[in-house]
Amino acid sequence: MNAIQLLLLSVLTFAAAGLLSLALRRFDQAARIFSGLGGGAASVLGLIAALAAFAEKSAAFEWTGLSAFGHFALRMDGFSAFMVGAISLLALAASIYSIGYVHEYRGRGCGELGFFNNIFIAAMLMVVTVANAFYFLIFWELMTLASYFLVIFEQEKKESVSAGYLYFLIAHIGTALIMLSFFILYQNTGSFDFESFRNSTLPLGAKSLIFLLAFFGFGAKAGIVPLHIWLPRAHPAAPSHVSALLSGVMIKTAIYGLIRLCVDILGAPLWWWGFVVLCFGGLSALLGIVYALDERDLKRLLAYSSVENVGIILMGVGVGMMGMSLQLPVLAAVGFLAALYHLLNHAMFKGLLFMGAGAVVYSAHTRNMNEMGGLARAMPWTSFVFLVGAVAISAIPPLNGFVSEWFVFQSLFIASKSTLGVLHIFAPLFAVLLGLVGAMAAMTFVKAYGTAFTGQPRTVHAKEAVEVPGSMLTGMSVLVVAVVLLGLGAPWVTPFLGQVAAQVANVPTETLASGLQIFPANEAQGVLSTPIVFLLLAGLLAFPLVAVFALGGHRAGQRVDSDPWACGYGYQPQMGVSATNFAQPMRAAYRPLYGLRALAQRPLDGIASLAKRFNASLPSAEPVIERGLTQPIFAFVRTVGGWVQRLQMGDLRMYCLYIFLALAVLLIVIFK
Amino acid sequence: MTTGSLIFIGLLQALLIAALAPLFSGFARVLRAKMHSRHGPPLLQNYYDLFKLMKRQEILPEHGNFVFRITPYVTIVSALLVVMIVPILAADSPFGWVGDMILVVYLLMLARFFTSLAGLASGSTFGGMGARRELFVSALVEPLILLVLFVMSLLADSTNLGAISRGVATGAIPYLATVWLGMVAFAFVVFVEAGKLPFDLSEAEQELQEGALTEYSGRGLALMQWGFYMKQLAIVSLFIAVFVPFGTMMTPSLLGGLLALALFLVKAAALYFIAAILENAMARIRFVKAPSVTWIAVGVGLLCFAFYLVRI
Repeated sequence: MNAIQLLLLSVLTFAAAGLLSLALRRFDQAARIFSGLGGGAASVLGLIAALAAFAEKSAAFEWTGLSAFGHFALRMDGFSAFMVGAISLLALAASIYSIGYVHEYRGRGCGELGFFNNIFIAAMLMVVTVANAFYFLIFWELMTLASYFLVIFEQEKKESVSAGYLYFLIAHIGTALIMLSFFILYQNTGSFDFESFRNSTLPLGAKSLIFLLAFFGFGAKAGIVPLHIWLPRAHPAAPSHVSALLSGVMIKTAIYGLIRLCVDILGAPLWWWGFVVLCFGGLSALLGIVYALDERDLKRLLAYSSVENVGIILMGVGVGMMGMSLQLPVLAAVGFLAALYHLLNHAMFKGLLFMGAGAVVYSAHTRNMNEMGGLARAMPWTSFVFLVGAVAISAIPPLNGFVSEWFVFQSLFIASKSTLGVLHIFAPLFAVLLGLVGAMAAMTFVKAYGTAFTGQPRTVHAKEAVEVPGSMLTGMSVLVVAVVLLGLGAPWVTPFLGQVAAQVANVPTETLASGLQIFPANEAQGVLSTPIVFLLLAGLLAFPLVAVFALGGHRAGQRVDSDPWACGYGYQPQMGVSATNFAQPMRAAYRPLYGLRALAQRPLDGIASLAKRFNASLPSAEPVIERGLTQPIFAFVRTVGGWVQRLQMGDLRMYCLYIFLALAVLLIVIFK
Repeated sequence: MTTGSLIFIGLLQALLIAALAPLFSGFARVLRAKMHSRHGPPLLQNYYDLFKLMKRQEILPEHGNFVFRITPYVTIVSALLVVMIVPILAADSPFGWVGDMILVVYLLMLARFFTSLAGLASGSTFGGMGARRELFVSALVEPLILLVLFVMSLLADSTNLGAISRGVATGAIPYLATVWLGMVAFAFVVFVEAGKLPFDLSEAEQELQEGALTEYSGRGLALMQWGFYMKQLAIVSLFIAVFVPFGTMMTPSLLGGLLALALFLVKAAALYFIAAILENAMARIRFVKAPSVTWIAVGVGLLCFAFYLVRI
């Protein structure tokens, strides 16, 4: 079987698993197991399809059966295969995890949950492989709708419904903009095919308009500031394995769309396109993490951090786009490499963290970190995997977050040497911004892990928490392995991603790794070797250990004391630092930035309330319709009914007469 | 230089810093006492403390999980890896083939991440407060470190610390206003990172009972303090390597190595001396006022960047 067939098989398996789960909706247990196992099997097929597509270089599939709006075409080049791989890997972990986790939703529609979840993943796989704008929009919409139903899955919560509403609204504003950009290209080329879009003869002005429409259209889905306000409300509202998929891969499909349209098809001809992307990326990274830091709801904190990471990815994309327009192939290759690497990494560790948060919710029944504390004792495995995710997302070497941020730094370094004045001045400043964001991310995740898992339990819920079932731990372990391999295996992963990046940017492939080292195409500029860093860190442990043994420390013994020292008073768990007051100094120092959030929120909230008012005004339109249309029809029906009623008088002989008359009429009609 | 000799020099540097770090901190304590007109502890007091603490029974807080136990080791290991990458004895970065200045900055972050997590894990109020302050201060100085090192990297055309150090030592990177301003801004960073007054915030001895260290005792406390001394000396050696790298070996030789070592000791001692004078001339500032002081340093850093742009 070739890659496309495998992909279709995977998509069909997802659909089948979804339908099966829907069919079994009366049997919660069966629905959750079949949807989880089916989704897992489909994900494995998706992974194989991605690998096969890498081997085949390029695979395509066309079906002209539905030709009303151009033919249905699927194409898997390196970039699509990469996206399919990322989605499938996270879907695999999420599916395994869901087998245990969905138990939490027994009696509340496990079957429907499995249905929407599998359809959602299938739609994402199609979005990143379809090669026709019309069908792209169809699957895009399918993805949006499926995810909308997942966001409002906990309908009994008013918060979820309003979050879903906001998501629905902003997603469709975005879709409208994307449609508009496709439509301009359709007008020019007369076809919805991506291939024909390449040959468009539009002037640069029109192309720039398309770029802006697409950037804000896809940006609304990706959650760039200031279009992000739905994201921190909608992502946490969904069940946690769905949150993982939403934050891990769904927002990346928007990045895929942006790169596919503006870079692959339009070729990023003007430098300011990339600069716009870079600036919005920087802004999103900074504000995303500033808001994450202030959050005490664990899942909202993670959602805000997704805004930050999308910002970092867009910084790479922006640098890469500028490299293309400035004819600097190395800059383009390294910029896109950084973006794609971070995209993959973020999918893995954010998925891991959301699932970890889900495990906490499953066990402690709260999302508020102030009500947690000390969970590591009851949930050692969850605590460990969450720590791995937290270290990775804080860009701490030698895990994967550091590798991709290192590439972003290196791409900004190359950009700083460019002769274009804007880049020469701003690239170093963006590097500094990235450093600031990194430091704040570390603070955010120290807070998240520290206040949720360590210290003493602050509530009864936290004290009574127990470890989650094996399927959830297995799902998370898949991602732990991915996080470690993408970090320590950087010298082997980088050439692969470098090829995809070079293909996207249409530049020759650079040498990005040799032996155990990775470097940004030029070894003299800087090298990194994560496997050696890991070995050295492990090996250097000999120093303290030898010192301890030499000085007799191993004989000294240990004693566990129950309470921390509290100036002679009785210790109470409330004395430990909570999530809210951990962030207090930051709140004070960055007060203006928090003010900005309200500012960005106002216009979008305005639109939302306007739409709500429109909905509310619909009932008041009802009387008008009633008087003019409904009531006359009702009156007519009632009159006719009255006549008919006279025929029905309850006398059996009368009914026999009707039957006789009817027979007579029929016979006359037939034998006339 | 050959890889073999570089690895040897790197390991030597790690040994050197591990052995000398308590001495330099002791030196600072002696200087401080002298300026207070006190008799003060002996120069080697820090070693005596470490030896004694190692043999003491360790008391662990009930809820400090494995993070609390591994943190002392993480602190030491990350500081050691930093000094293996920073060019101290040779002009080249001994483990420059493993990572560059970005790795060094993020290794310091690794130590900070675990130190503050341990503070939170202890469940102690003081530990938590110390953790909070540690990370808050880092969010103020981290961008500054990167700004200065990024500018120096641009001047050297490489993020490799050896390239920067060699460039400054050989005069390929001349002492223009950019470098001087970078030096001032970085000196500020060293001061803050070394936990000197007025930035003795996260381990504030008097008010926070040494912050994240509060619940450590015995072996854990000894290792933690040793790690802090190493981290201090590591930052100082980074400053020396980037801004005053004269006298390091261009090619490996025994005599050159000894000369480089002697020069390094003199330079480091001079820096500790200057830091001691500054520290004792200043009062502590309130924690919430720290940003206003750091903004001045960020201003100097930006000025350094502006001067780089116009090439003076």
